[in-house]
Amino acid sequence: MSNPASPDYDLVIVGGGISGAVVAKTVIEQAARKKKFPRILILEAGRATALSADKYDTYVEAYHEALAKVPNSPYHASSSAPQPDVLDIRKLKDTEGKPKISDQGYFVQKGPMPFGSDYARSLGGTTLHWLGTTLRMLPNDFRMSSNYGRGVDWPIDYDTLKPYYERAEWDIIGVAGDVEHQYYPIDGLDQYFRSSDPKKTRDGKYIFPMEEIPSSYLDQYMAKYADDMTITLPCMDPGEPDHEFAIRISNTPVARNSTPTTTDYRIVGAAGNADRGQRCEGNSSCIPICPVQAKYNALKTLYELIVKYPYELKENEKPGTRARVAVQSQSVAMEVMHAKGAETERAKVTGLRYKRYYDDGTGPTEHTVTARTYVLAANAIENATLLLASGNAANSSDQVGRNLMDHPLLLTWGLLPENVGAFRGPGSTSGIPTFRDGTFRDQHTAFRVEIGNWGWNFPENAPYVTVLDLVGGGNDGKAQLYGKALRKRLGEILPRQFRIAWELEQDPEARNRVTVDDHYKDALGKHRPVIEYDLSDYVKASLPWAAEASRQLFARLGMTEKRRRPHYETGDYTYYTPDDAAAVTYQGTTYWVRGAGHVVGTHRMGDDPKTSVVDSHQRSHDLPNLFIAGCGSMPTLGTSNPTLTMTALALRTGDEIAEELSK
Amino acid sequence: MGNSTSPPTPKQIFTDLSVELTGFDRAELAGTGMIDTYYDTLLRMIGEREAGQLLRYASDALTADQQTKNGAALKRDVIDSPRFGPVVVSLIKLWYLGHWYPLSGAYRDLHGATADDVEHVISSQGYREGLVWVAAGAHPMGGKPPGHGSWAEPPSLLTP
Repeated sequence: MSNPASPDYDLVIVGGGISGAVVAKTVIEQAARKKKFPRILILEAGRATALSADKYDTYVEAYHEALAKVPNSPYHASSSAPQPDVLDIRKLKDTEGKPKISDQGYFVQKGPMPFGSDYARSLGGTTLHWLGTTLRMLPNDFRMSSNYGRGVDWPIDYDTLKPYYERAEWDIIGVAGDVEHQYYPIDGLDQYFRSSDPKKTRDGKYIFPMEEIPSSYLDQYMAKYADDMTITLPCMDPGEPDHEFAIRISNTPVARNSTPTTTDYRIVGAAGNADRGQRCEGNSSCIPICPVQAKYNALKTLYELIVKYPYELKENEKPGTRARVAVQSQSVAMEVMHAKGAETERAKVTGLRYKRYYDDGTGPTEHTVTARTYVLAANAIENATLLLASGNAANSSDQVGRNLMDHPLLLTWGLLPENVGAFRGPGSTSGIPTFRDGTFRDQHTAFRVEIGNWGWNFPENAPYVTVLDLVGGGNDGKAQLYGKALRKRLGEILPRQFRIAWELEQDPEARNRVTVDDHYKDALGKHRPVIEYDLSDYVKASLPWAAEASRQLFARLGMTEKRRRPHYETGDYTYYTPDDAAAVTYQGTTYWVRGAGHVVGTHRMGDDPKTSVVDSHQRSHDLPNLFIAGCGSMPTLGTSNPTLTMTALALRTGDEIAEELSK
Repeated sequence: MGNSTSPPTPKQIFTDLSVELTGFDRAELAGTGMIDTYYDTLLRMIGEREAGQLLRYASDALTADQQTKNGAALKRDVIDSPRFGPVVVSLIKLWYLGHWYPLSGAYRDLHGATADDVEHVISSQGYREGLVWVAAGAHPMGGKPPGHGSWAEPPSLLTP
């Protein structure tokens, strides 16, 4: 691995989350086949607290003690590496209804609507608080422009990505699922999952490495009452027939440990304590934290790397005989240094400037590091912010920061007639995939239906709000309900709470973007992300559809009556008022649209350098020794949670970099 | 109510009052390990003198209710009392959620407030031992996991 310029490392990766960890692991393993042993540096902006199992427990305690139990509540950020928080979301209108910028928290939100999602800036990244849903995208999701005249096509198709999906499921994340219980609205479901690897096949069918996580009692109840019902939604074109959707409750593949499906699959437990987290034990807190790490997080992959490939050489160990990985936390990338090439040469990255901060009162220090190849693997918003703050690096297309997407969530909730055992099990064990694809996608976005197992925890902050409602103590200060009557009533209400998340596919729009502004910097002098965000009419047109689908489903489940807290009777408790920061009004009706934490877009991939930032290997069109990895590369979003697809892309990128470093 | 030979201690009265407020018996409350902490919390939030008054009224009411078995005295003299009512509301929430909710503005205007009377989670243990999870037939989110696949089983609720 000699290089005349003798850079500090072969590979420098910005961001110690899943993309960075997967690229590093893949590069090491693939390069080793050619007897090449790269030296890798991973720079992480946040702290590395949780790499040991006992310190991870302090995160769990922080969550227990947090007043508001939101996704980032276990993971305290430093002012040197601040992070977005959903508690900072504000209405972007003043009291007179005029537009207003919110710079509460880390994001600067210019609107018209606030971007509703966050991410974690700690080693391990947002996998620390993801739900763990690992659905693959559907074949049509890669061809949105060709098939439906919406968005853009990907430079690769499903079949290209399929082997990488398998590797992501088996070699990185560890997915629990059963193809027999997947009911997607596509032809050839068998082919969709078929593997060419006999080790991943049983009776001619693809198997996941671990058996499915059991469907909750609620899922079974849903299946009993709603399976095989048909939901009918109106076509937008007058005179055209309605769209019909057959409902089938589908167990969701997830990144949670269960029982291996083959004898040679090894389950990966908690980072630093492999005995922990061997199986999901039902802590019911996947978001914001799995106390035992039965749910995959990137710490597991990073831990494996630093144990197997420590940067420090042992006595008698010679350089160049094995791969070496350094993970350096509290190191914030400030600038991607790049130079224009000579006439025959292309421009390239020449170094990376970063600041390191300390917890002992010492001021931050500034450093420059060089490498043969550079990877930006921070969150999509961080990648874009860094490039824009680096003299507009890798941005000849003017697409860096643009096409920011999320899965806008419409929540609906109600009180079922029977006890279904809410507040038990993982956040979600099943969904309804029928709305994920269909001819309707030329006019409405597709959406995925996630069935929640935690009652009204998300929409209403239950069980807190339920206790407060019942105990009362408002104006007269007197308890309305106490003692055995209170205990009994809570037992009648809480286990019947039910909610659905209707996760809409957002289409890429150039106006939805991240920019930088010298007026907005953090304590370290790094630019804060400035965000402009809105929903297209294409997305908004799905709001009444999802609401109508919810109405029909709720009716089937016996929740027809519209009800309002603080009174609790069987019925539909969904309500949206215009005063909420998440309010969106469409055709005279108000909805609340939450974020799903799926931060996608900002450096889209494509074949044409004029309209895309990276190629299908996530390599910058402008700076060939720079890869920009992560959800930001996804040109469109589909309806699956993006982490699995991001992992598949990272594997493909890792292969590419290994090939190059092995030359 | 203590034993027959010696008068109950304030902490015993606090426990007996908590049994009536929460609907959980003494063994269940003791099992949370939170009785001492919440007793101390009460004293810190409203001051020892006012807490002493609350427990004196509560003790008298609980003694009276032992005869009638209908809880009328407790309701009249404590729950519905403008002086003690808001305090027991916060106490019920504390037991159920492990979370202290500040006393109402109206209460503070009449009886003053202590610096500690702000919204906070008492402790990680207080959160995990919140009675609401038991009442719901569940377990605290992020604690006391019921085991792999238990969520697929039909829910069960102990009848209070």
